[in-house]
Amino acid sequence: MPTFVKTLLLLLAGTAVGLCVTLVTLERGVDFNAIKAGPWVAFPKNGTADSDPYSRAILMRSGEIPLATSEGLSFIARRDSAGAPFTPGCDYNLQGQIPQARYWTLTLLSPKGFLIDTGTGNGADYGIESGEERHGFTSTEILRNNNGDFVITLSRHARPGNWLPLGQSSFVLLLRLYDTELGAMTSALNDRNMPKVVKGGCT
Amino acid sequence: MNWLDRFLAGLLFGLAFLFITAAVHIISVLAMRDIIDKDVFDRLSSVAHPVHLTLLPPPQPGHEFIPFEDPALVQGVCLYDLSHGPLRLHADVEAGQLLTLSFRPRSAQVFYAITDSAAQHGKIDAVILTPTQLEDVEADDDDDDETPQDLRVVAPESKGFVLISALAGFPSERPEAEARIKSVTCDIAQQ
Repeated sequence: MPTFVKTLLLLLAGTAVGLCVTLVTLERGVDFNAIKAGPWVAFPKNGTADSDPYSRAILMRSGEIPLATSEGLSFIARRDSAGAPFTPGCDYNLQGQIPQARYWTLTLLSPKGFLIDTGTGNGADYGIESGEERHGFTSTEILRNNNGDFVITLSRHARPGNWLPLGQSSFVLLLRLYDTELGAMTSALNDRNMPKVVKGGCT
Repeated sequence: MNWLDRFLAGLLFGLAFLFITAAVHIISVLAMRDIIDKDVFDRLSSVAHPVHLTLLPPPQPGHEFIPFEDPALVQGVCLYDLSHGPLRLHADVEAGQLLTLSFRPRSAQVFYAITDSAAQHGKIDAVILTPTQLEDVEADDDDDDETPQDLRVVAPESKGFVLISALAGFPSERPEAEARIKSVTCDIAQQ
């Protein structure tokens, strides 16, 4: 094979593989600067000048708007506390400590970050105004027991207490802490001071 | 030494291949900004008019606008283009009610943010400027001999947006949160 052809093939192959590597890394996500506590992962440097080029590229592709450090910190869970990926056919109980913040919200989203139609919009179920589906809870509206603790139950079937309906498709959980002093203390986070997500029965 | 020649040639090609792969990978990651066709600013421009505050539509299932939005937040944006002049922003802040303002270039990275906790006397007044515009304003200050009353924020690029967020603790609090957002005014500062 003449050298010219070999060189051209080399360039094409290198380019193709290089672009594949980029696509795969951006799709899989990177762990640089990630904070992990139990199933919860946060990227406090996202959206700041200190973020790494991979995280920046990932954010640009997704088009999401990251929280500013002074706005708050966002945690995502894609698996339960035992490490198993979330299954919409199973029940999950979320309970435990939530780090100090002025407000927090818990949101159920698709893995790509969009709201899920759980088909509960027409229910007169507890906590849902008719015509409105529940997609999450805020720290203000959560029902707590006498010592201030709470449990959130994720299920396809109506449950008493704080019930977060699941749909038919896979999901992720977003826990957002607003106006929190946590920025300097994120290294102190571990699975004991973050909520546990425990799988219950499955249908 | 034919096998040695071929081995070295193969090695050379192998290294060249790795080098090209690495170079293409690194360049494509760093140049992502130029590769994507719609950035956050473009998406926001499809629903928001320039300069003045626009309330963003709340996220709905089936309607995929911006990923990872929080349905408990009510948000508004002021899109700015500093080539038309500095952007002036005013917000009245209600005590104890969360209100956050984050200033971002096109790509949504934050270059400045402020929350209601930092408001002076129940209000926030800010001006976003280019470095040149800041010099002009400071020159005027020297002439006027007045102390500036507003926050001056220098933007890294001429286009970007301010994202204003308020929290509705209960769904029934949404209209109040919307009113808080709508009370924020953005306009082009007259030079």
